[in-house]
Amino acid sequence: MLAPILRNEWRLLRADRTLHLVAALLAILVAYGVYNGSAWVRFQSNALDSAAGEEAGRLAAMKTAIADVEAGRSNPPAFADPRSPSAAGRSLGTRWASMPPTPLAALAIGQSDLYPYYFRVSTQSRLSFAQNDEIEHPVHLLSGRFDLAFVVLFLYPLVILGLSYNMISAEKESGTLAVTLSQPIALRTLAFGKILTRFLLVALLGVALPAAGVLLSGADLSAEGAGMRLLLWIAVVVAYGAFWFAVAALVNAAGASSPANAIALAGLWLLFVVLTPAIVNGGAKLLHPVPSRVEMIQAMRDAGRQAAAQRSELLAAYLEDHPEFTVSRDGAMADFATIGIVTAQATERAMQPVLERFEKQLDAQQALVDRYRFLSPAILAQAALNDIAGTGVHRYRHFQQLADAFHERWRQYFIPRVMKREVLAPPDVDQFPAWTFEEESLAAVLSRTAASLAGLIVLSVLCFAGAAVALNRYRVAG
Amino acid sequence: MLEAIDLSKSYNGSTALDSLNLKIEPGEIFCLLGANGAGKTTTINLFLNFIEPSSGTVRINGLDVTREPLATKKFLAYIPEQVNLYRNLTGVENLEYFTALAGGKYSRTELMGFLGEAGLPEGAAERRVGEYSKGMRQKVGIAIAIAKRAQALLLDEPTSGLDPKAANEFSELLLKMRDGGGAILMATHDLFRAKETGTRVGIMKRGCLMAVLNTDEIGHADLERIYLDHMHD
Repeated sequence: MLAPILRNEWRLLRADRTLHLVAALLAILVAYGVYNGSAWVRFQSNALDSAAGEEAGRLAAMKTAIADVEAGRSNPPAFADPRSPSAAGRSLGTRWASMPPTPLAALAIGQSDLYPYYFRVSTQSRLSFAQNDEIEHPVHLLSGRFDLAFVVLFLYPLVILGLSYNMISAEKESGTLAVTLSQPIALRTLAFGKILTRFLLVALLGVALPAAGVLLSGADLSAEGAGMRLLLWIAVVVAYGAFWFAVAALVNAAGASSPANAIALAGLWLLFVVLTPAIVNGGAKLLHPVPSRVEMIQAMRDAGRQAAAQRSELLAAYLEDHPEFTVSRDGAMADFATIGIVTAQATERAMQPVLERFEKQLDAQQALVDRYRFLSPAILAQAALNDIAGTGVHRYRHFQQLADAFHERWRQYFIPRVMKREVLAPPDVDQFPAWTFEEESLAAVLSRTAASLAGLIVLSVLCFAGAAVALNRYRVAG
Repeated sequence: MLEAIDLSKSYNGSTALDSLNLKIEPGEIFCLLGANGAGKTTTINLFLNFIEPSSGTVRINGLDVTREPLATKKFLAYIPEQVNLYRNLTGVENLEYFTALAGGKYSRTELMGFLGEAGLPEGAAERRVGEYSKGMRQKVGIAIAIAKRAQALLLDEPTSGLDPKAANEFSELLLKMRDGGGAILMATHDLFRAKETGTRVGIMKRGCLMAVLNTDEIGHADLERIYLDHMHD
């Protein structure tokens, strides 16, 4: 019974020029969004490439410089001596901790323009905190970059609503509904056929959009997890589309006129896509405010000043704790390096509570958004799309943890060498701890996406069920 | 074929149809006469199950319309005052769709044959319905009824607004369908057509069926007089 409805709906949609226009417009917007995303990913890759190049060049130069000093060809001042572990750990030998974009990164810029994707790791205090601004949440895509995720979240629902806001009301108004329903067919079947036609069409777009996006962005689909990510992306786009169809079905089933449907659906779009994310975001900031950056920098300065003022006491205390480092005092410069490390550690200890509060508030904000994302399918879809593209908050957190661990490893390696006043030789440079980015496990991405998908599906099913009940009471005449 | 038993319909306390008893056999054309708001369209909508009766039963071919809404529509064709079709599709595409909904699968030639039988001018079948006149759209409606082999026809003022020639053609088609064994219920304002084509006429007023007359027992003038008598209080 569905086949004739599907065929007829397809004929009707094809005969209507709006569909062609909308499809063309959407294609342009997708191309533009993907172009923006790819440009950003290219920029990131270039930055990472030059960081890697800079690091390799610097380490090679360091080896030459050490060899030069060893051979007596040069005689630098103590603070710039390439053989000193202090100079190596603080500046000359530092490594970049970086996170490469995923194969799908071009599809959603997400939070990647807010979070640093590379840090310089040295024996200084963890830069990661100071570099880290506040988290900006979902809505900020509103004023954010125009990428494929933006097209999916904001414009794709409009296409769906444009195709379906009057799918039943228009038939009632033009009188074809009465002729149709004088045939042995239930209104529910008719509505289902209408939705199915549009859904297939739009789902085709939902598959074609990301596929085109991936092809256009030149992503490497053979990369590990790329296929899986693409499938997840498509699943989220299709489920998000299903939700909007369900809403359109529900509004149509309520039996109002086409203009009333249009207004109601525009209102719901505004509510779910713009207002709810803004309210959740605003609520997160209001309930869990992050200490201001100025306050944090001020605290850091105060701590630094205080540590500097007490540095002799600090040094004495430190050496008391680490008697193994108490060696003959044979150079003022070496003491300077030791003091530097000791004051840095003291500063860090003093900063710890401020940083912890900062982190705690960020976590609380994120937890709140995670909890209330089920209020709006737009937040659900956005979180999932960013997550899948590897530009969401979770992957950045993962990166930060890796970077912090690496920072710790770096210090564990250099500080004892500074304290023992070791002298580096060229082969030592190759022994410095090296950074490797370990990709977040796909299982974690999968389980988070599954929760969002389940949320979208439950919301859709509820709306469809409501529509089915309401259609039973639909007034065809009278 | 078409049967209403103690059929009533009221909206928020106001009665649109009051205890209608009516039985239309195959080969019969029953014309419902009455002023606007007399309950003619309500009766037809009840047969179509577009509205639910407040009390009483509607049957088509012995089946209760509210209990078996889809089965009863298999026997049914409906031609409203305006046969509203999909304007962007051609006549034959519209016919194909509506017959397919009723489960009919016909070749293009067969579909064209139905349209020809319904009197649609040659060449019009392939044009968009948006360009059709009201009469042409009604012919597509008749073609749907023919293709479906409908045994019961519900017509709601089908000839109003048709020019005399078109109205006459329409009546000819009705007679043909009646002779084919169709049971036809037609709501109309056209006393002349009712007398000419109808087997019986019923006069309705404020939801009540006031009188039922056999058309071969009365003349045109009698019908008009009886009708007007009923319209005066």
